[in-house]
Amino acid sequence: MTFERHQVALYTGELSYFVAGEGEPLLYLHPAGGAMLTELVQGLAQFRKVYVPILPGFDGTPRHAGVDSIVDLANLAAEFAALVIGEAPDVMGASFGGWIALWMAALHPKGVGRLVLEAPAGLRFGMDESSLTPEAARANLFAHPQKAAAIAPTRETAIANGEAFRAYADGVFVDAALVEALPTIQSHALVLMGTLDVTVPVETGWTLTATLPHVNLSYVYDAAHAAQVDQPAACLRIIRPFLEKGAAFIVASREYA
Amino acid sequence: MKFGFFNLMPWPGYPEPPRVYPTPNKDYDPIKGQKLYHDYIDLLVHAEACGFDWIGCNEHHFSPYGLMPNCNLIGSILTRETKVSKLAMIGNLLPLSNPIRVAEEYAMLDVMSGGRLIAGFMRGVPHEYIAYNSPPGESRARQKEAAQLIIKCWTEPEPFGWEGEFFQFKSVSIWPRPIQKPYPTILMSASNEESAVFAAESKAIMAMGLISDIGVARNNVDIYHETAKSNGWVPDIDHVMMGASTCICETDEEAHEVFAQALDYFHGTLMKPTLDALKLVLQAGYFNAQKAGASYDNRLDKVTAKKTIQEMIDAGSIICGSPESVVKQIKRFRDELGAGRLNMSMQIGDLPIPVVRKGMDLFRDRVLPHVRDL
Repeated sequence: MTFERHQVALYTGELSYFVAGEGEPLLYLHPAGGAMLTELVQGLAQFRKVYVPILPGFDGTPRHAGVDSIVDLANLAAEFAALVIGEAPDVMGASFGGWIALWMAALHPKGVGRLVLEAPAGLRFGMDESSLTPEAARANLFAHPQKAAAIAPTRETAIANGEAFRAYADGVFVDAALVEALPTIQSHALVLMGTLDVTVPVETGWTLTATLPHVNLSYVYDAAHAAQVDQPAACLRIIRPFLEKGAAFIVASREYA
Repeated sequence: MKFGFFNLMPWPGYPEPPRVYPTPNKDYDPIKGQKLYHDYIDLLVHAEACGFDWIGCNEHHFSPYGLMPNCNLIGSILTRETKVSKLAMIGNLLPLSNPIRVAEEYAMLDVMSGGRLIAGFMRGVPHEYIAYNSPPGESRARQKEAAQLIIKCWTEPEPFGWEGEFFQFKSVSIWPRPIQKPYPTILMSASNEESAVFAAESKAIMAMGLISDIGVARNNVDIYHETAKSNGWVPDIDHVMMGASTCICETDEEAHEVFAQALDYFHGTLMKPTLDALKLVLQAGYFNAQKAGASYDNRLDKVTAKKTIQEMIDAGSIICGSPESVVKQIKRFRDELGAGRLNMSMQIGDLPIPVVRKGMDLFRDRVLPHVRDL
């Protein structure tokens, strides 16, 4: 699947994005590592028209004036969806992207369909502080780091992406305002958590399940924080029926065998 | 006529109707649960002293309305705690199970009980398929294949292999073999026409666990008899078993009052998520409207839809009242449905255990003497 790169003028500046596939639209919000077109993203584009905006400051793109926070990014993503996609798309967010996706769903309820959250950041309850050192953070990303080799950004890009992430996250590990907003989110959410994830602790999944009005939590076996890189096929097996059938995705079907 | 005491083992005191399927289990208290299991098992054992011909339990998953994910575990206790009553596992859910495991565990129960097993070959209800990630559209075919494989396990004289659509085993020879010959009594659900046909083809006891309309039940019995006849055998009344939630008290007024409350909790709180699950199964594209209409959950919906206790009695859905009233209601099951067996589900919802125990004693003293010889 070949992704094409385009650009669109948003209110705050130019935004680059990748797009591929046919079918119902899916907005994919990338993690702090950047807009990597992973095996999962490629797989999603087999049955969806997938849009992957490169958030300002990532992958060598400039920051936008006035876009300084996660909430600002959520508003920017909503503007992008309205302008480029033109309807309320289903949204998937990975880690940092999941944090943004949650805010997008909270602030723009009519602009978001179903929500897939892969270990969303911003709700790192019970986090082990030893996981915060750069070495630990890198080591904790993957259970199978060899699978990430082909998509890893250059060292310079990785450093710049890390700086962009830290600027937006502003040192927040538990976004109290988001916690307060969770019960208002009406989109049905699928939360994916790697069984080996220590970056976003299991408590995050529990909190989301107890708080979001419509939610399913699913663990991905033998996966760390970047579950989609460690286990792309398993993630796709869950995400596809969820996007196509919503709450009824829990009913087994040979369609997805 | 023969009678069974059946206990779903429901969870009492769930705080409010669950808003999602499956019911979150954080409100289960294991310490309270330990006592509850023992109290419920005491009731099952007491049933033998009350003259019940069999003691029944069954399998359900992910739900507070039935705390027996594996009824064989309870059955194994009953093999030691009882002496003469049949032990009805109503039953293992074949579409969800490894049939070899079912054959082995049922054989164990039959041997340990001295040949008292009634082996339920059940298909399950939609929320069970969700629980065990089994495609609902395959449930009947899986049940049929599993049933045949289990019987093979019990009867083949030499090790054998099985190459089926859903199950494959290269070489099978289970230990132990059951006591009953040629194999244990089999019971199957016959709550819709297709199931009634399969039960008759299998020479199994036909069982209807929930009657929403006595006319529909009669139709299923007729189909069962017709199918049996065309398959070269004639069922007797012992082959027809009806099930009914049952409450017996000293007076009709008392029984109606306590049962209304218990049924309200059972249907409104404990069973609510199973109805939600049925909707998901329909949403996922399984079952057409006709099949959904015959499903357990749909019948359940009809049974409970704003009906009074008296209306449920009239429909044949429940048995409730004083011993004298219960005698009349039982005679109706015998007369209108030709049922020789009645499975009485007496531990319903949050009905207090002493009330159930009192009802069992009333059954022994003031009901059974009038209906035993029907």
